[in-house]
Amino acid sequence: MNEFVETLLSLTWHEPRSSYDVVIIGGGGHGLATAYYLATRHGITNVAVVEADYIGSGNSGRNTTIIRSNYGIPESIRFYRHSQVLYDRLEDETGCWIMHATKGLIWLAHTESAMRAERARCQLNNAMGVETVLVDPVEIKRLCPQIDLSGGGRYPVLGASYHVPASTARHDRVVWAYAQGAMERGVHVLQQTTVTGLLRDGDRVVGVRTNRGDIAAGTVMSAVGGDVTTIASYAGVRLPVRTHPLQAFVTNGYSQGFGPIVSDTELLCYISQTARGQMLIGHEYDREQSYSRQSSFQFLQANAVKMSYLLPFVRNLRILRQWTGRCDVSADFSPIMGFTGVDGFVITTGWGTWGFKAIPAGGEQMAELIATGRTPEMIAPFALDRFAADHSMADQGSTGTR
Amino acid sequence: MRAPERLWALRVVSTPEALDHAHYEGDVIVLRIANDEAIAIGAVHAELTDEHAIVEVESTFVGWDLSLAEFDEIVHRHVEWPLPAERPALAQGLVAGLPLKFWIDHDRVLMISSNGLVHEVVDRLGVPA
Amino acid sequence: MLIVFCPNCGPRPVEEFRFGGELPSPPESITDPAERDFDQVWMFNNVAGIHTERWYHDAGCHRWTTVRRDTRVDRIVEQHVSLRPD
Repeated sequence: MNEFVETLLSLTWHEPRSSYDVVIIGGGGHGLATAYYLATRHGITNVAVVEADYIGSGNSGRNTTIIRSNYGIPESIRFYRHSQVLYDRLEDETGCWIMHATKGLIWLAHTESAMRAERARCQLNNAMGVETVLVDPVEIKRLCPQIDLSGGGRYPVLGASYHVPASTARHDRVVWAYAQGAMERGVHVLQQTTVTGLLRDGDRVVGVRTNRGDIAAGTVMSAVGGDVTTIASYAGVRLPVRTHPLQAFVTNGYSQGFGPIVSDTELLCYISQTARGQMLIGHEYDREQSYSRQSSFQFLQANAVKMSYLLPFVRNLRILRQWTGRCDVSADFSPIMGFTGVDGFVITTGWGTWGFKAIPAGGEQMAELIATGRTPEMIAPFALDRFAADHSMADQGSTGTR
Repeated sequence: MRAPERLWALRVVSTPEALDHAHYEGDVIVLRIANDEAIAIGAVHAELTDEHAIVEVESTFVGWDLSLAEFDEIVHRHVEWPLPAERPALAQGLVAGLPLKFWIDHDRVLMISSNGLVHEVVDRLGVPA
Repeated sequence: MLIVFCPNCGPRPVEEFRFGGELPSPPESITDPAERDFDQVWMFNNVAGIHTERWYHDAGCHRWTTVRRDTRVDRIVEQHVSLRPD
């Protein structure tokens, strides 16, 4: 805990009750946002959020904090745009400063085929009311003077799509804002509480088994990142999800301002400047599935080389920290939200490399699903049964992976 | 050390047994890159007992002819994996991030790369172009 | 660093290889053939533990090899696994 926590939060920690209306597994952004919206939008406050470590210790504390909605399929654009709108309102709504800053996102293209994809992205985004415009190299240089348009002589920049409303926020503060808002209204957040199984009554899930005893629940929701396959297996649910490590690093402070977020889907890396002035650099997820959170030198080497082609100034910076999260990547690279086919057990997963931006909308929609017992129209396309129905939501090109 | 030369070869895909007993015309170096595939440098014709064998002209490789001293001085320190002890021997893998093959004989090493990567090999290893 | 033992080329850093994914293996409990097909195509065991997986030696012999790796600690526990029944 640091000075932010002490000034920001007035939290009351509780001992677990024997039963709740809703138990949410996973005290990250998605779990806490769902609890918050259950309390604020639906008046459901007999809720526990169960967290194995401390809140925000998983992927909510390991992501690169980019909020954008420049996706490639209408259902995703609408969902992530809604999440941006909720983020815009979050500081006013919760009274917590989440350090939300609109920066704009330059999504670079080095080949004609990538330019075609970006043109299509701009048209689809605009048709959906999302401001994404095609920009030429001159405009890119104006938005980001540090860029080397020749890409170090190897990756010449042909153009980019510029996603105007893209922003960043302080990831811990988002977690804390939702935690505080939920706890003020009576939600219990149980830290250091590990789920070791689900309580079953016939086919129905009726609670969770934890290291602090059994807790009964009307509805159990899994909002875990990284261990979702294990949690779902307790309910006998199979998932089209693979867990990969995702690495990132920050440099020491860069004394000039670096305005936009720059992302490159061909080199598969992206960069932004943190509020402290450090350069935050990320990459696609590691190719092999793994639950290890081991960071690698190979990642640093490959990524630093690529970034120095685009932004030569990074060569003079030093790497301060690197870290690794586990991301759950679904078979079609879109999230999975909703019912699981098992009564009393709902799920939000598949957040891969695109979970932080979805925290408000994912939480709000899952809260509505739990409160009403019906799938909200906005997330109906992301139901788990879409795979069996052959309605996969394939959108790998918008995820910064290949 | 000399500049790289274009290598003319046959690429042969066949059964392991047929490759073990294959005959090639000419002064040939046979790189057995897998148990069912070989690259015969300098060959113009291959005789195989396997009637389904695939034999194609392979002209995308270039080779640097290095003395052992040159290999040790310039290239070996970039090789991050163990080289085979027997001679002659084929070794293939990433060197300075580039896929290379070595034909290591008693007194010479033939370093082979794909033609499209020559400028990268020159850049990273400092061998002549 | 992970070292994969390529049966053709010898021990090599994992960077020389391309990841080919886990071997699809629907659980025994699914008996309906259509459901097994669906599971084979879409679902993953995504094991937190010993994971049987394929690697392609992209920088060497261009052949596949199968290993077993512990995904919790990222260590290969068995190299060059034979998939042929004895």
